[in-house]
Amino acid sequence: MKLAFFNDYQLGLVKDDFIINLMSVVSNINAPTSQDLINGVISEFNTRYRSLFLNASISESEEKIPLSQVELRAPLPRPGKIVAMAANYMENGALKEPKPINAFFKSPESVIGNGDTVILPPNKATIFHHEAEFGLVIGETAKDVRPEEAYKHIFGYINFIDVSARGLHAPSFFWGKSWDTFGPMGPFIVTADEIPDPQNINVNLWINGDIRQTYNTNDMGHKIPRIIEWASSITRLEAGDIVICGTNHQGLGALQDGDKLEMEADGLGRLSVSVRDDLKREWPRGVDKEIADRVAGR
Amino acid sequence: MKLVFYNDFVPGIVTGNKVVDISEIINGIPHVGPGDLMSRLIENFDQYRILIENAEKKNSGIPINSVRFRSPVPKPGKILCMAGNYLENGTLKEPRPINAFLKNRDAVIGDGDTIILPSAPVTIFHHEAEAGLVFGKKASKIKAADAYDYVFGYVNVIDVSARGLGPDGGDAFFMGKSWHTFAPIGPYLVTSDEVKDPQDLHIRLSVNGSIRQDYSTSDMGHKIPETIEWATSIATFNPGDVLFLGTNHQGLGALQDGDEVKMGIEGLGTMRLHVNENLKRRWETVGS
Repeated sequence: MKLAFFNDYQLGLVKDDFIINLMSVVSNINAPTSQDLINGVISEFNTRYRSLFLNASISESEEKIPLSQVELRAPLPRPGKIVAMAANYMENGALKEPKPINAFFKSPESVIGNGDTVILPPNKATIFHHEAEFGLVIGETAKDVRPEEAYKHIFGYINFIDVSARGLHAPSFFWGKSWDTFGPMGPFIVTADEIPDPQNINVNLWINGDIRQTYNTNDMGHKIPRIIEWASSITRLEAGDIVICGTNHQGLGALQDGDKLEMEADGLGRLSVSVRDDLKREWPRGVDKEIADRVAGR
Repeated sequence: MKLVFYNDFVPGIVTGNKVVDISEIINGIPHVGPGDLMSRLIENFDQYRILIENAEKKNSGIPINSVRFRSPVPKPGKILCMAGNYLENGTLKEPRPINAFLKNRDAVIGDGDTIILPSAPVTIFHHEAEAGLVFGKKASKIKAADAYDYVFGYVNVIDVSARGLGPDGGDAFFMGKSWHTFAPIGPYLVTSDEVKDPQDLHIRLSVNGSIRQDYSTSDMGHKIPETIEWATSIATFNPGDVLFLGTNHQGLGALQDGDEVKMGIEGLGTMRLHVNENLKRRWETVGS
């Protein structure tokens, strides 16, 4: 099932080229904000909303709108937490073993959705990078979860671009990662049942139609069950929180004014955002070989 | 005004030695839990201030020693912590480059709660007593000159820290700072009108009765207006978000099983915490 927010944060179910308005089905949820609404859906999905949504998807009475006529919004507009794995790929097998497991928080206010704009700040970064990542949306609260139980706590999956500013104050993830608009996600959440093998997903990212990142989640260093085990040993993960699994640095490139950025992990739809830099700075186009070689240890 | 949660997260205000229940005044505020209830009360405080002041006059309240305080900001939208932001009693010639990290919003505990030290192979666990400020309005790209307009109030906070877990030379604040229970905040959220000079607050932390940290916010490297200008240049802050202003490292010491921690800032009340560590590791204790 593909869940999305559209227009003024109406909740919808995406089916083929249409979106079905679900607001009448979720009107009982106590939800002061749109994030509370999706959290409420996620918390009671298996016990309540899955069947209600399935009924809505085949009902004639629910409003059904062509996707081309709506604006999709971030499906998790202000997640409780964004836990981002750091350097968690084998770089196409170039590393002999995973780097020590590590993560950072990204600001919930960094989130933007499909069709929105990444705004590069005027600060003197050496470069701004796109990091296409496979995102896990937490369902059932996770604390001290064993790896064999990890998938029970995953509600679904989502495309996420971890936009990154380099060189502002190394090493500092806040300076690098938490700028407003640095967290494009979407266009929808895909429930876990539609992704039979999350550890074998092709992730692609294009700039202005040229492919940059193209890798598979099978190259991940610490795999999803270990990520959930480790992160939940430190903090409780709650419904609607998101964990992003890290990126493969082979294929990173500069982001600059006017760029059209697209990302798609198999089965998760196409996320498209634009880039604005009021200073119109320019960096070499194409793949940034320096970071690719550095992270791969070449 | 001193805003609190007590017992089963009943919202209240503390006046003298009494706490007055304000739940009837604010129960119309939409919320899913005490965390966003407090954030929305802060956001709309102008509308509630007089009602709360009237309740304070009419209601005699109950003695504060008969209640259990909870954290007044039990689930902030986010917690940003300034890193290395003191001049260490003037020993540094100039402030370090400004820096910060996000701390786990689900790590918050309150007065009387227990800091649980994880079994991870740390070199040491430290207490970092800090002054915390709570945002009152949505704040993005704020100039230093306007910064105090965005501060709702102040809180005692401890940035509990695990050392030695991260990759060499890298930013490992997540593993260092974000463990469950590593963010004690409380007992009161004191509105900014009651804090005459936030840049001249005396912070004290003791462990088992021995003073460890004892310093003033006058030693801060990047002062409050500058930290707000900088932080809001990067991320938008919302009412109820918390900014930890950093610690003076002179006087840090080990936390270990059985410790009783007492921390307070003049005017912001005193917070007491227990410490639990299942492995019963011992570190040398540092006297005052």
